[in-house]
Amino acid sequence: MSFIDSLLAGLQLVGNVEAFLALGLGVAIGVIGGAIPGMSATMAVALTLPFTFSMSPITGILLLLGVYKGGIFGGSIPAILIKTPGTPASSATVLDGYPMAEKGQAGKALGMALWASCTADLISNLALIFFAGFLASFALSFGPPEFFTLILFSLTIIAGVSGDSLLRGALSAMLGLLLATIGLDLVYGTNRFTFGNPNMMGGLNFIAVLIGLFAIPEILSMVWNPSSHDGVARSLGKNKVTFQEYRRSFKSIVRGSFIGVFLGSIPGIGAAPSAFLSYSEARRKSPNKENFGNGEIEGVAASEAGNNGVAGATLIPLLALGVPGDVITAIIMGAFMIHGLQPGPMMFVLNVDVIYGLFIGLIVSSVFLFFLGSVAIRGFKYVADIPRGVLFPAVLILCVYGVFAVNNNIFDVGVMFAMGGVGFVMMRYKVPAAPFLIAFILGPLLEDNFRQSMLMSGSSGWVLFRGPITWFFWTLTAITVFAIVRAGIRATRQPSVPTP
Amino acid sequence: MKFAKAAFVGAIALGITATAAFAEYPERPINMIIPYGAGGATDISARTIAEPLGAAVGKPLVMSNVTGAGGATGSVAAQNAKADGYTMLFARVGSHSVNPAMKATLPYTLDDFRFVTVYEINPVACAVTPASGIKSMDELIAKVNEGGVAYSSSGVGSLLHIAAAMVLKEFGVEKPLETATHIPQKGGGAAATAVLNGTATFLCTNSSALASFVSNGQLVPLMVTTPKPVAGFDAPTAADLGKPALEKLVGWTGIAGPKGLPDDVAEKWGTWMAAATADEGFRSKMEARGSVIELMNPKDANDFIRGQYEVFRALVDELGMRIEG
Repeated sequence: MSFIDSLLAGLQLVGNVEAFLALGLGVAIGVIGGAIPGMSATMAVALTLPFTFSMSPITGILLLLGVYKGGIFGGSIPAILIKTPGTPASSATVLDGYPMAEKGQAGKALGMALWASCTADLISNLALIFFAGFLASFALSFGPPEFFTLILFSLTIIAGVSGDSLLRGALSAMLGLLLATIGLDLVYGTNRFTFGNPNMMGGLNFIAVLIGLFAIPEILSMVWNPSSHDGVARSLGKNKVTFQEYRRSFKSIVRGSFIGVFLGSIPGIGAAPSAFLSYSEARRKSPNKENFGNGEIEGVAASEAGNNGVAGATLIPLLALGVPGDVITAIIMGAFMIHGLQPGPMMFVLNVDVIYGLFIGLIVSSVFLFFLGSVAIRGFKYVADIPRGVLFPAVLILCVYGVFAVNNNIFDVGVMFAMGGVGFVMMRYKVPAAPFLIAFILGPLLEDNFRQSMLMSGSSGWVLFRGPITWFFWTLTAITVFAIVRAGIRATRQPSVPTP
Repeated sequence: MKFAKAAFVGAIALGITATAAFAEYPERPINMIIPYGAGGATDISARTIAEPLGAAVGKPLVMSNVTGAGGATGSVAAQNAKADGYTMLFARVGSHSVNPAMKATLPYTLDDFRFVTVYEINPVACAVTPASGIKSMDELIAKVNEGGVAYSSSGVGSLLHIAAAMVLKEFGVEKPLETATHIPQKGGGAAATAVLNGTATFLCTNSSALASFVSNGQLVPLMVTTPKPVAGFDAPTAADLGKPALEKLVGWTGIAGPKGLPDDVAEKWGTWMAAATADEGFRSKMEARGSVIELMNPKDANDFIRGQYEVFRALVDELGMRIEG
């Protein structure tokens, strides 16, 4: 079959109202689900899965993909408006999105998030369509040693999100690494820091930690000082992002998209590290570095491009290798299996119509995301207008409910409040929360891949230098660490300029 | 003061549920705990049976995934629930025969549950990549004895972990733990990827998890453990290879309640499951994924699970695989 034939076969599959309706519905469910704090994109997809059993395969899968894409964007709405990432992938968006909302630019931040998300989504989909085979074979050359060096390099992001004090950032990261060790030891299966509590055996729930760290401290500080915001009404600001701003951030968006595509095509990393990496790269390259963390629109653009860039690319290992890249694609893979489709290279031969149908659907989903996202922004931006006295109790209830619903476990709600306490203390002592989160995500990956490498080589360290990929990341890490140290030394030599 | 109030409310709630239990079971929705994540083998199996099962029960089944620690978190939630039949658990080979056999400090034992059924058997298959050049179990064993062979699993205490050790042992490898290296991964997908990208040489897991890789030519099956050959797997059975003991090595999914589950409740589950597994749609969906539908009544289920547990336990003792920490 020629390309045109395949394309037509695909079009025949998706060229009906039902398929497009499912896609649109999926995006809408995703945006709303993602926008509810505690209801992550993963949950939204998991909840939608049973409904797809009775649909035709392509319709069901498009519905799930719609939810996925919508969810990743939807998560940025509460991240910007109420400092609560709706989904882990949008944690990086908090860093600049929330300060923008504080300055009365919520509409602008949301608009930029949407533009960046859609651009990245499109780039990611195109990468899937044109380079799936190439990227998949590249992803397969990532064994534990390559992973280890990649994660090691990614840990340098911490310097980028530490704010003014690298020391405080390092402290925060150390705390995150420490808490990430709770659970079962990967290699021996023994309990670590579980204190005899079976609930701790699975480690601390990520969503509980995330919400505890970002949302609860805001609420606590409101309780601490209820009148601090009296009289300060946040205005919505100008709703529109100007084309000028989009163009200014365009480089960061494209860079973020490619980081997303790259990290997305390697199974096992996910969207959150990609968003942080994209953010820290944008900050490193930006002329107004100082403004990052204080409401820089380019920061929002970079984070959102980073996480949405992953969305299409995670389908690369799924379709080309039959390997799910993260939890969400694992669920989507379940949907494939239920319909008797077996993802993998043979699918490009046996079910080429489904593959091309999916490609067409994916391209259309970027368009749907743009329009439904605009509608959602229009609806949700008024959240910024709600007085805090009304908004925060509602947010708290949503957080409790959402964290419980992740795993139907009341223990997780306790974890959320405990982390809220930790987050509040950190906030009062100006210890940034982002390094904590990055360390919490990357720490276990770093450890697991290091130990797997050691098992592979019989405890010889040379395996960590086994090929060009490892060398590439070692070099990158060395350069970055050198740059951080140099910047640190410069900063101490120059008399610090007091910020106004 | 506040705590006392909460305790009081809790006590009333308990009182209400206690009286409810006396009425005809079931008179309200039943909470079904799935101890593994959405989209996994257990989850898909549970949600597939939930459809015909819900019709047989006549009350809604509330499916909730409580994941973590290789199924232990969800199992503990069911263990601590009231034995009134309103909280049931989807038990799985990993959480209810491998893990109890291996992990000394697991917060539950088989005695903490009453199994009402096992409804699905999953054949286990061992596979390698075509690139490895290995074409039969004998070649694999020869390579293992040369040294430098690793196998992947979805984690310590998983079916995959014990399966590889048991297979090597049965095929005459003296010290399987020392001769071959175990490289644990996080989850079944990662375990298969590790073999695909050459981190590990082989893995033994449920045939359903390997089916797509085998049909795509990415992995070569060497053996299946069921007495009958598995469709789509061009590989001999364990009995063909003269190792019938490996027929105990299968995956399964069942349903359990907390210990002390009343007899009449267990009996009801027996009749519901008979109705549910007779459903044509259910059968065809499950069989398309490589499962063998085999319904066991409460007694048979219990014997089957204990039998497998004893086999695994003996192996764990012999090889010194017990996890003490």
